[in-house]
Amino acid sequence: MKTMNTRGSGSAHRGLGEWLLQRLSALYLTGFTVWLVAWLSLAAPADYIAWKAWMAAGGVRLAFALFFLSVLVHAWTGMRSVFLDYLKPLWVRFVGQLLLAFGLLALAFWAAQILLVEAAV
Amino acid sequence: MSEKNHKRPKNLDLLHIRLPIGGVVSILHRVTGVLLVLALPPAFLLLQQSLRSPESFAQVVTLLSSLPARVVLLGITILLVHHFLAGVRHLLLDLDVGISRRGGQLGAWLVLAGVAGVVSIAAGCLFL
Repeated sequence: MKTMNTRGSGSAHRGLGEWLLQRLSALYLTGFTVWLVAWLSLAAPADYIAWKAWMAAGGVRLAFALFFLSVLVHAWTGMRSVFLDYLKPLWVRFVGQLLLAFGLLALAFWAAQILLVEAAV
Repeated sequence: MSEKNHKRPKNLDLLHIRLPIGGVVSILHRVTGVLLVLALPPAFLLLQQSLRSPESFAQVVTLLSSLPARVVLLGITILLVHHFLAGVRHLLLDLDVGISRRGGQLGAWLVLAGVAGVVSIAAGCLFL
């Protein structure tokens, strides 16, 4: 096997960026999960009114907005490393990443709709 | 470097290689991650319906209270707790915590023990 030029498969700096994004999103998701589970176990909303009022609060919606951003970035970086390792024919990997990108983009618009329409008062 | 490459084993017999415990926890981190991504759309839908109206909120509560839904929720909990704890282990490995051979094994077993513990509590909340 010939030694592969690592630069042939893309910019080295982009890899570092994805590595960092994966860890930064992981840190936010960790904190958010602990916070949400703690809140649900200590003060779960009793009914629709309480649930709706809690979600409508500015801080909560901001926390959820950052959660949606983090979870989609995290899904992108994680699925990409899985695809890079296991989807071998290049065109299969390309199609997989294209579908993933569209899927996550759709989820991003959906999340925005939930935050701006359903979660609004 | 090139001399080393010549000595690399070829035709690895995957059936005769035992993945070390750290490797098992690591590959499970990938498997649970992919499955959690697939769980995102239904989770988005449930969140949206729970906020849309009092009627749809009641429907979501009824749905999630059913036995099949609670079994699925337990499954999602196992995925999430494993991914969470194995992810924390990976972050600690980035900081060189538990990076030694024994530390890596210990960390992997701690992850599995933590998953068993947290999932037991969750199962108690869901089914008792």
